[in-house]
Amino acid sequence: MKKRKERIDRGIKARSGDIFALSSWREMLYVAGPRLLPVILFLLLPLFLSPYWQRVMISLAVFALLAISWDMLAQSGMISLGQALFFGMGAYLSGIINHAWGIHPFITIPLATVFGGLICTLILLPVLRLRGIYFSMFTLILPLMLVRTIEATKVFGGTEGLSGMSPLPSGWLELYLIIIATLSVLFGFRRLMASDYGLVLKGIRDNDRSVTNAGINIYWFKAQALFLSSAVGAFAGAYMTHVYMFVGMPVFALDYSIMPIASAVVGGVGSFAGAILGASILVPLSELLRGIGGLRIVLYGLCLVIFIVAIPEGIFHYLQRKYQQVERWVDVDR
Amino acid sequence: MLDVKNLIVFFENAIALNDFSFQVNDGEFVGVVGPNSAGKTTLMNTLSGLIIDMQIKEKRKGGERITVYGSIVYRGRDITQTKPSERVRRGIVLSRERHPIFPESSVLENLKIAGFLRRKQEIREGIDFAFQLFPALVALKKKKAGFLSGGEQQMLAIGMALIVKPELLLLDEPLLGLSPMMQNTLMDAIVSLNKQRGITVVLCEQFARPVFPVIDRGYILENGMLTLMGTGKELMQNPEIKAAYFGI
Repeated sequence: MKKRKERIDRGIKARSGDIFALSSWREMLYVAGPRLLPVILFLLLPLFLSPYWQRVMISLAVFALLAISWDMLAQSGMISLGQALFFGMGAYLSGIINHAWGIHPFITIPLATVFGGLICTLILLPVLRLRGIYFSMFTLILPLMLVRTIEATKVFGGTEGLSGMSPLPSGWLELYLIIIATLSVLFGFRRLMASDYGLVLKGIRDNDRSVTNAGINIYWFKAQALFLSSAVGAFAGAYMTHVYMFVGMPVFALDYSIMPIASAVVGGVGSFAGAILGASILVPLSELLRGIGGLRIVLYGLCLVIFIVAIPEGIFHYLQRKYQQVERWVDVDR
Repeated sequence: MLDVKNLIVFFENAIALNDFSFQVNDGEFVGVVGPNSAGKTTLMNTLSGLIIDMQIKEKRKGGERITVYGSIVYRGRDITQTKPSERVRRGIVLSRERHPIFPESSVLENLKIAGFLRRKQEIREGIDFAFQLFPALVALKKKKAGFLSGGEQQMLAIGMALIVKPELLLLDEPLLGLSPMMQNTLMDAIVSLNKQRGITVVLCEQFARPVFPVIDRGYILENGMLTLMGTGKELMQNPEIKAAYFGI
């Protein structure tokens, strides 16, 4: 007898507007479990980690933020190859403000977030009309250009950079602030993209002409998405400035452009959770491989290739599918 | 020539073709007519092997699972698992729906790309033949294919399929989006291909009016199932067909 595999959705979630109708604890756990899991892990894990791994946790959260901000742009149809622009802009802004006037980090970080986002949006405004690869090329070039400008004109400390920023009040605060920020950005952006506003952005990615036909100014919406995304990137940069108490040319390095993309692709593009999952795999992996020495980058690249070839849809989407669907063999009925 | 037996195609849990069997003899003009979502395109993709590519792609993406059962025998050889490129080498050529052309290339370039498998001399002959069949294309030789009208694009698409010198030509909705005048011109060209060149043609179409008078044999497909078969004349006389497709 011929058989085929049948897929059935575990459809228990009845949704009308914003009201969930759930009838039992099991169902509630089924819906809430996957959302609670990262929250619990991120909040409890640092308690059991050594100080070294706590630092890794901070850089994990930073890369996760950058990956989320990349994912946000990708979901609205802009493939950015220069997350380092956002990161560096935030880092330098908060560094300069703190260096020049000695303002407290709790004020410089929000300032750098907002103004970093604004400046990045203004810089990229002329290229919003470009689609696809042209936009990507422009974003790739910009951070490299800024690095050389700083190097040549010797502004903001030139090649040495600025040091002696004020640190954040305590180590635990430093760690938990960024974790909470990451989690709120994750859930906030997920909520945003599920709303009508997010639908417009996704529509722009799929077919911008149709969106224009619906009477929506796509450039205005693209600029807003760009601001949100670059503000998140700038926040990560500003935060890192005060963690390292230093800002210099490395903040525009290619690492900050490539790593978020790798995280988002490994974890799965299109759901911010994938970006976080990818960062949670790649950042600790690169730390673990540090002991190996010379072949570290080769092994790291190999891991990336394996992930991408084996699960091209992304780990998160794979897990999500397995979680939400049941499969069983059925007869091919005539 | 072509013998299809018990073809079953599932897209995930939805059945697209349900136990479909039919035969095509040498030099015949066979029409498969059915409404939207009857499974016409799936049938064409399965015959040309494109569904194998789709299967692999969807599987890697974790998308819809495509299940194919049944057998396709072409000239005495089972080609159910043969790759689409290999099927083209054996003479089965599909012209896909919605004017599958290369929009950024000129008409002449399009025809040359399509003839990749053939020798230069054969391509030149093929292009001459395509221009002879569709004189409207001659004036548009150097124009970008993306800027052609729908009818011209469809002519080009059929021309591209012909360059490969098919023995079995599969046409998926060639009349899509064309005016009745254009439909008649195109059908005349296809009939002359079939009668003069001896190319076997299988044509999928929603429009019954231009198709039924010219086909040798017709199949009516509904919801993936074969509901009726007969010669073109028989089908035209069938009262149910008259009501459903001609509105009489």
